[in-house]
Amino acid sequence: MMTRIWPIALAVVTDSLRRKVVYVVLVFAAVLAMAIPSLPSYGLGIEDAVYREVALALSFVTALVLTLSLAANRVPSEVERRTVYNVLAKGVSRGEYLVGSWLGVLIVTGGAIAAFTGVQQVIALARYGDPMWRLWQGALAVWLEMGVLSAFAVAISAVAGPVVVVTAALAVLFVGHSRSTLIGGEGALALRPFYPSLDTFNIVNPVAHGTGVPALYVLSMLVVFVGFVAIALSAAVWLFGRRDL
Amino acid sequence: MSEDNGPAILIRGAHKRYKPIVGAPQRDAVRGVDISVAHGTIHGLLGPNGAGKTTTIKMLLGLVRPTGGEFRILGEDSTRPGGRRRVGFMPEQPYFPQHLRAAQALRLYAQLAGVPRDEITPRTTALMERVGLQGREKTTLDAFSRGMLQRLGIAQALINEPEVVVLDEPASGLDPVGQRDVRNLMLELRDAGVTVLLSSHQLSEVEAVCDDVTIMNAGRVAAEGDLDALLNVEGRTSIRVRGLDGGLPAPVAGLAGDVAVTGGISVFSVADEAVRAVIDAVDDAGGRVVSVTPVRDSLEDYFARLLAATAEGGEDR
Repeated sequence: MMTRIWPIALAVVTDSLRRKVVYVVLVFAAVLAMAIPSLPSYGLGIEDAVYREVALALSFVTALVLTLSLAANRVPSEVERRTVYNVLAKGVSRGEYLVGSWLGVLIVTGGAIAAFTGVQQVIALARYGDPMWRLWQGALAVWLEMGVLSAFAVAISAVAGPVVVVTAALAVLFVGHSRSTLIGGEGALALRPFYPSLDTFNIVNPVAHGTGVPALYVLSMLVVFVGFVAIALSAAVWLFGRRDL
Repeated sequence: MSEDNGPAILIRGAHKRYKPIVGAPQRDAVRGVDISVAHGTIHGLLGPNGAGKTTTIKMLLGLVRPTGGEFRILGEDSTRPGGRRRVGFMPEQPYFPQHLRAAQALRLYAQLAGVPRDEITPRTTALMERVGLQGREKTTLDAFSRGMLQRLGIAQALINEPEVVVLDEPASGLDPVGQRDVRNLMLELRDAGVTVLLSSHQLSEVEAVCDDVTIMNAGRVAAEGDLDALLNVEGRTSIRVRGLDGGLPAPVAGLAGDVAVTGGISVFSVADEAVRAVIDAVDDAGGRVVSVTPVRDSLEDYFARLLAATAEGGEDR
C-alpha cells in the first residue's frame, strides 16, 4: 500500500514546491516575525513570553493559509484536469490516492512550519540570546492541528469545490475551538466528551508563559490527531468512492 | 500472459443511470451493453458523441460506478483496484501534472504501477524512444504540445508492460505521421499478444487495425462482430478490369452496377452468381481482369447507415 501512497505524496510535495504561494506566505511570515520585537507591549518585563505567543500565532496563521491553499484545491483540480485517471487506472485505490494527497500536504505544511520555527529561533537567539526550544512544542501542536484540518479539507474536497472546502474547513476550525462557548452551560455539559474539540492542540499558554507541556501530553495530542485524521479520511474515502469521475 | 481461458475483456449487462439530485429526469447513459474482447486482438469501440463509449470504458476501469453489470479484465473484477494492475489506460486528451518533467511523470506512473525499481529507468528510456519523445526526458510538461502529451499518454499506458491496453482516442491531436506511428504501435502490441480496446472516432484508423468492433449508439450496442463480416456486402462481388477502352461489353454492362472508370481501369460490382459469366465476357472483349474481391462497404458508409437505421428504429419506438 505504501508503495503507491508514497509516490503520490511526493508528487504533491513536488507540485507544492513549485507554487509561489508557499514561498510568498513564508517570506511574509518571516518578515512579520522579525517585526515582533518592535511591538509596543515590550518593556513590561515579559518580552520573551510575548515573543513566543505572537510567534506561535504567526505560525498558526501561516500554516492555516498554506494548508487551505494546498488541501482545498488538490483533489478538485486533479479531477477536473483528469490527471486522476492515470493514477487510478494503475490499480491505485481511491483511498490510497486520498491518503497520498493528504500526506503530501502534511509534509509540505510540516516543512514550512519547521522552516518558520527555525527562523523564529534565530530571531529569538539574536534578540534575547535564547533559542527558545519550547517553540518546537508549539510548532508540533500547530502541525498536528493542520494535519487534522487538511484531512477534513480533503474529505470535503472529495465532493465539493475549493470555495466550499475553505468555508467548511474554517467552520470546522471555529467549532473545534468553541467548545466552552457552545456547550459551556451546565445543561449541555454531558455532551462535552462527544464534542469534536481541537483545543487539545492549543498549547500557547504553557509554551509562551510556562515551561511547555509534558511528554505524556504530546503523546495524547498524537492520539487525538490520529483519531480525527482516521475519521476524516474514512469519510473522504467513503465520499470519493461513491463519486463518478 | 494471462492463464485464464475466457475473453481478455468481458463486459456483461453494463448499465449506468445518472440520477440528478432534484428535478431533472433520470438518464440512462449506458443500457445493457455486452462486449467481449478476445486475447491478442484489437477491438474497436465506435459510436457518435454521447453514445456511451467513454462511460462504458470508465465503468470498466472503476472511474464511474456502474448501476449494473459485470466488468472483467483477464478474469478479474476490473472495478476493483486489484483487477486493473495488468492494464494500461490512455484517457482521451491525457493530462499530467504540469510541473513534472517527462521522465519524472513516467517514473511516477511506473512506481504507482508497481514496476520494480531497477526496471524503471530502462523502461522509461525505451518508452520515450518508442513514442518518439527521445531527448525530451527533462522537458517539463507545461512545455509539451498536445501531440507530445498524447504520445506521453501512450507511454504511461505501457509503462507497466500491460497485457490489456485501453486507448481512448489515441490519435487525437496527432499529425499524420503520429497517427501512423500509433497505428503501427497498436499492431506491434497485438503481435506481442497484447489485447487492445480502442475507442475512436477515426474510422479509417479503426478499419486499418481492428479485428472486431462494437458500435454503440444511444447507450446500446447497435452492431458488433468481425469487421470483414460487417462490411462485406452480402451477394455482391467487386471486379477491376483493365483494357476495356471502348467501355464495358454489352453482356457485362447489363449485369454491372456502381461502375467507375479511372485511368483505364474499370471497377464495377456484380451479383456473386454472375461472376463467372462476366469474367468470360471481359476475356472475350480483350480486357484483363485485375482483381475479384467481395464488395466491401467503407466503414464510414456502414456507420452512417447504421446510425440512421437506429435513429429510425428509435423514432418508431
